[in-house]
Amino acid sequence: MKLSEIKDTYRKLFVVEKSPEEKNKPKDLKKDLKDFWYGKPHEERNLGKLYVDGTGLYKHREWRGVKDTMYYFNMIWLYNYAHMVTDIMKYGGEGPKSLVDFAKGTFRYRWMGQTYLSVMHWFDRGLEGMRGDALAASAWHYRGMVSETIRQFMCMFASDKKLHGGKTPERWNKNIAHNETVSGNIFYPFRKELEDVALEMIPYFVSVHVNNHTVLNYIDAAQSIGLPADPCPMCQAEYGLFVLDDYPDYAPTMVTSNEACDGSVATSVLQDWFLNRPLYAMPQPMRYDDPLVQEHCQKEIEGCWKFIEEQYGVKFDWDEYVKWAKSFNKLTEFEWEKWDVAANTKYYPINGVAQALYRIYYSQDGDRPIWHEMDEHVKRIMNKTVKNKIETFPKTRHRAIAWSCAPLYYSNWCTWAYNCWGINCVINMDSLMFDQYLRTDTYEHALEDLSCFNEKAPMRAMAVGGHEHILSLFDYMERFNCDMVIMYDQLQCKGMQGIHGVFEDEFRKRNIHAIWVPHALPDKRTVSRKEIRRIINDYMTTVMRETPLDPSLLDFDDDQSW
Amino acid sequence: MNKLTKIIFKILGIFAAIYGILFAVFYFDLDGKFLFYIWEPMMVKRFDNMKRKDNTLTPYSSKENVSEDF
Repeated sequence: MKLSEIKDTYRKLFVVEKSPEEKNKPKDLKKDLKDFWYGKPHEERNLGKLYVDGTGLYKHREWRGVKDTMYYFNMIWLYNYAHMVTDIMKYGGEGPKSLVDFAKGTFRYRWMGQTYLSVMHWFDRGLEGMRGDALAASAWHYRGMVSETIRQFMCMFASDKKLHGGKTPERWNKNIAHNETVSGNIFYPFRKELEDVALEMIPYFVSVHVNNHTVLNYIDAAQSIGLPADPCPMCQAEYGLFVLDDYPDYAPTMVTSNEACDGSVATSVLQDWFLNRPLYAMPQPMRYDDPLVQEHCQKEIEGCWKFIEEQYGVKFDWDEYVKWAKSFNKLTEFEWEKWDVAANTKYYPINGVAQALYRIYYSQDGDRPIWHEMDEHVKRIMNKTVKNKIETFPKTRHRAIAWSCAPLYYSNWCTWAYNCWGINCVINMDSLMFDQYLRTDTYEHALEDLSCFNEKAPMRAMAVGGHEHILSLFDYMERFNCDMVIMYDQLQCKGMQGIHGVFEDEFRKRNIHAIWVPHALPDKRTVSRKEIRRIINDYMTTVMRETPLDPSLLDFDDDQSW
Repeated sequence: MNKLTKIIFKILGIFAAIYGILFAVFYFDLDGKFLFYIWEPMMVKRFDNMKRKDNTLTPYSSKENVSEDF
């Protein structure tokens, strides 16, 4: 390599280019010191200039002032890297020996080896530009998700026949595999003896948020065996895992679902074929307001419980159910508290992406100790911001609600939108699902609530669950004091596509500012992140006639980014 | 300065150096650059060339009902 090439590479990877105006600006030592100590004011940050072109990497990570940079370095970057190692050892069940299973999994599964090691960049993208309490509280949500992800994949690896030369590890017989859209709550009665781990949540769903490169292999694999390309790409990716033989074999049975749509029915059928083992398909009704449907849904859940009893020889344990359900209710109570603060104050310390992902993750996954631990941290911070009236997102120009299913490959769009335009996404549809308290006084009440909980799953209630639920957007918009809607337009979701025109009419009739954001869930090739930003930029400049807070974020290339 | 103090300072120095190196890795996003330019291409190559079982050869066998109620 020539010296000039080394210089060019160095400039490309490390040097933040200055504009001629910046270069010609007279030195102001006092201001420089202030910027060093407190960080630059929002309008002078030029966050877009920190990127290595095309990659989303940073020439250097953002200097947020001494306090916040050191917080990020010590309490987020170092803390999480260190805790990832301890989590691997803890959840692998064999201490330091678990690192061997982790290494085996890393070199066996694409979704692990290619994806999860870049997890700190997931933090970076979601927490870009955040300061103080908003930075801390949002980061705790990320920490919870990372820990729970490790728990799940370590459980898979420790029980995986494929990683143990085809032999059956002891834990294999104690696991229930289930579709990621079957709620973890269903399995509470058996948690004393069995472990429930969603099959696609880690290999597919969470992986897309962390690194969206991997999933494209699974989508292409599904289409390569002649399956159509137009159903939901989530379902395609889920069965693509099986076509590529990239799923861990960690459980003797499988519980599947039709949630969210017909595409998931296909996933269930294909999984039945590929897995070739006892499988229970537990459908969730679409028009669940009909009382007759409730009885059917409850019978399906009881059928699932019976299936588990028969397959594993374990008994339904009511006390165990009560214990976990009561504990889960505490998470729900805190969620309501959070919504109250988000809706009625300026002191809510969690950014849009952390709110959305954490809520959808824990409510789908079910009760786990890590969620309570994280909620304690967040509660402490939120109590402080409310008590001291700390405005956590001071540059807010618009309070937005995001509706419908989000682009998984660009879930951090809201961090960008706040930094660039002051659009603060205070709540989103995925957060508002699963809004169901689980009664534990009688078996009948428990079953009733559990079936309702199941029916309020992501992409079900407010996406394909009937227009009265889909249009509840306007009620929530009012309750959360929002003045703008970010309307996700999942191009391959037939349910939501069918009601597109109704929304258009309603937005016009109610004179609501709504920005349609087209995307294809996990597949960034259909609508790129850059295109999403362009659409928002166009609306903000032409309709709202506003100027950006940070113009460097208007247009940049991150096509190859994770 | 006695021997113990020297050892303490030496340990503190080592910790400070490690801390400084880690901060440089963090600040210049060296972890991201390593994963993006070196680790990921290596993994892509590995997984692209990995021999995999052809799951489409799984027979379309019909299983018995798993529960008598359904």
